[in-house]
Amino acid sequence: MFSDTEIGVFLDELNEQIQCINENLLIMEKEGAKPEALQDIFRAAHTIKGSSAAVGYEKIASLTHEMENLFDQLRKGALPLSSFLVDTLFMSLDTLYKLREEITGKEVEYDLGQVVDSIKQCLNPGLVPASEDVRDKGPEDLNQQAPWRRSTLETAEEEVLMEAELRGFKPYWVDIEIDLGCQMKSIRAFLVFEALHQAGEVIKSYPPAEDIQEGCFNDGFRVLLLTIEDPDRISNLLMTISEVTKATLEKITLNYEVNNHKEEIPGPDKDPDKDIEGKAARADHSEIKAAQTVRVDVQKLDNLMNLVGELVIDRTRLTRFMEIFKDQQGTSSGELVESLNEISSHLGQITSDLQEQIMKARMLPVAQVFNRFPRLVRDLTQKLGKKINFIVKGHETELDRSIIEIIGSPLIHLIRNAVDHGIEKPEERIKMGKNAEGTLELKASCIENHIVITVMDDGRGIDPGIMKAKALEKGLIDQEAAGRMSDREALNLIFVAGFSTSSEVNDLSGRGVGMDIVRSQIEQIDGIVNITSTVGAGTTLTIKLPLTLAIIRSLMVSLEDEQYALPLANVVEAMIVPAREIKKVKQSEVILVRGHTLPLVRLSDIFGLQGGVDPDRLFVVILGVEDKKAGFVVDKLLGESEIVIKSLGDYIGKVPYISGATILGDGKVALIVDARSLVKEIWFDDLIQVAS
Amino acid sequence: MAEENRELSEREKQLVVFHLSEQTYGTDIASVYEIIRMDSISRVPRTPDFVEGVINLRGKIIPVIDLCKRLNLTKTNQTDSKWIIIADIAGITIGMIVDAVSEVLRISNDRVEPPPPVVHGVDSAYLKGVAIVEEGLIILLDIKQVLLKQEKNELKGLRLESA
Repeated sequence: MFSDTEIGVFLDELNEQIQCINENLLIMEKEGAKPEALQDIFRAAHTIKGSSAAVGYEKIASLTHEMENLFDQLRKGALPLSSFLVDTLFMSLDTLYKLREEITGKEVEYDLGQVVDSIKQCLNPGLVPASEDVRDKGPEDLNQQAPWRRSTLETAEEEVLMEAELRGFKPYWVDIEIDLGCQMKSIRAFLVFEALHQAGEVIKSYPPAEDIQEGCFNDGFRVLLLTIEDPDRISNLLMTISEVTKATLEKITLNYEVNNHKEEIPGPDKDPDKDIEGKAARADHSEIKAAQTVRVDVQKLDNLMNLVGELVIDRTRLTRFMEIFKDQQGTSSGELVESLNEISSHLGQITSDLQEQIMKARMLPVAQVFNRFPRLVRDLTQKLGKKINFIVKGHETELDRSIIEIIGSPLIHLIRNAVDHGIEKPEERIKMGKNAEGTLELKASCIENHIVITVMDDGRGIDPGIMKAKALEKGLIDQEAAGRMSDREALNLIFVAGFSTSSEVNDLSGRGVGMDIVRSQIEQIDGIVNITSTVGAGTTLTIKLPLTLAIIRSLMVSLEDEQYALPLANVVEAMIVPAREIKKVKQSEVILVRGHTLPLVRLSDIFGLQGGVDPDRLFVVILGVEDKKAGFVVDKLLGESEIVIKSLGDYIGKVPYISGATILGDGKVALIVDARSLVKEIWFDDLIQVAS
Repeated sequence: MAEENRELSEREKQLVVFHLSEQTYGTDIASVYEIIRMDSISRVPRTPDFVEGVINLRGKIIPVIDLCKRLNLTKTNQTDSKWIIIADIAGITIGMIVDAVSEVLRISNDRVEPPPPVVHGVDSAYLKGVAIVEEGLIILLDIKQVLLKQEKNELKGLRLESA
């Protein structure tokens, strides 16, 4: 039997391979059967087949076996890429997912019958005309399908060609067509070869040279020729042979990057646009180098991170010790101090590098999440009868894995909303004078110390007026509030619980629980979500996320003799306020900051400490959460610092208004203030004060 | 009681002996992780009175409780050079402030007697028994009970009050 770990590795691998097939299928659906994509798919299906058979999951093995057959036919060019075929392949993929869940125990036994039938139907030439039948119909129909046209080069041949090119020879595909009524095909072929041998060197041919010279070909053949002569001259020479109806030479452009992918040489009859596209795609492809990876348990990474944390603290201690040591030793042992100093600073440097690298090791590209979306959008658009060009940008942007885990579900929601409510049906779009195909862009980028993810559609947009009316109708706001509300605030109503503008509820979105959950999920990971929209032109949702949850920048303050960290993400500003500027409103203190009245709270009161170093001059930090702001009095401002967040542990559990703790450079522990709940509760009058 | 009997049925015990409010206490060495000198403790607001705060133990944040306060003992006036016993119980690491730690002692089980209802004001629920040695009495503390049972309720109670 196999251990859990082995099954785990198998499942991970299965996931990756399914994802790989998925991506390439989407590419093929858009751009046709590209050999690179097919090759990748074939390899992935083959890997799944092999490993699932080894682990003993016969169903997966038999399904992928069927899929492999299909891919093989596609690869050989024996089957056209029909939409029925693509649908069947997607269905097979879904089945693979289901089978995977059968292993993990989430899904009950799943029957393969239907999918296998569909695949067989695809493979059956009686239902889908195979290319061989097409070929006999006449020369007009020859275009793309004939297998001999899709000639490929082996890597070894490519190398020969490259060498020859350096010597001044140029490689050409020579396509020869011979009159169908020809009685002596072998003679004609012999003459053609004679002529070619005079002009240059024949490397290979389709079908093989012996077959051609015995006349075993239908109406034409293809030869790979190396020559230094003018192609037009050769063509003319060949045309002089009787019953040769066509002789074309096509130059082969070699891809100088030596890679393992077989290169397809586009046939002469191909649409020139497609040709260019194919080349561009190929260039892209060669840039992607297979990443060498090792699977590591996340727990191990966390442990490493902790160890590095300790190292950082020791480094600080060492530096401090160095100073003391230098003072004590004075000049008597200068050399000793010098070399100790050198070791200390080198150690410091390495520790910083180590910390950075481990931080990076915990990061994953957002592609992990983004990769599922093209399929989601495809399925949704088909279901809704819309046309959408889905663009994904910046999928290589890296995020901490803990954020990656959470960000998926709110993004699915936003994308569904955009497809469902944002982008209009093609007819409607044409009426509005827009392109029938809508554009949905998902983009991730790194801006300063944040990751910004935007979901942008060019759909109908959101009307703030309608938002207000809906909110009024649902009793979420009153008339007066609606009157005061700015357009921006009105748009933000979308994030209020129980608000949904969709009049029809369907199974895709519009259950009215969406956007408020999106917001709370994003805020859970210290993110901020923003909405902008122009009626008729589209909606953009922007999510701003911290790079990592483990390390944050914070403003260090002190209360009595202890340090507290205020997350910089929530710090609006810090200032000194003379005591006389504090006003009282209904027992509570407030201050006026640039025309806005903000509640003022003494942090020492909240934490039950003795506060107030100087009663006349108060240090006030303004903390902001969403649109709400409040001022907090602290004893001293100590400056900014990057801190590693640690939990207070199960024993103490959750402490009101404290979100965790951190270890300072001197080894002491500072508490991290939970600005979010503090500001919110002040505004909702829920604040619990402890009498000092 | 069955559990206690089973534990006591081993022939011998190894105890960490420490002093608290001028009394001698002992606890099973198996649950003691290490003993450190008390250094700076960061207070955590809005926690029960006996929670002194948190310390940094080689990169880990460990809560520290004042055992005197926890057991409702009268505080002695000697405040300098206290010790923290770091114990690891049921996966939770915690520090306990004691006045002094004197030795590790081996005692045979037949010298341990069941606890009287109240010993120097300490509830017998926290005790495993009393050991009689040449120097006098050693009160055997059941750290698990001290740390886990009551506290959870008290911490919960505190949060309920504040909610």
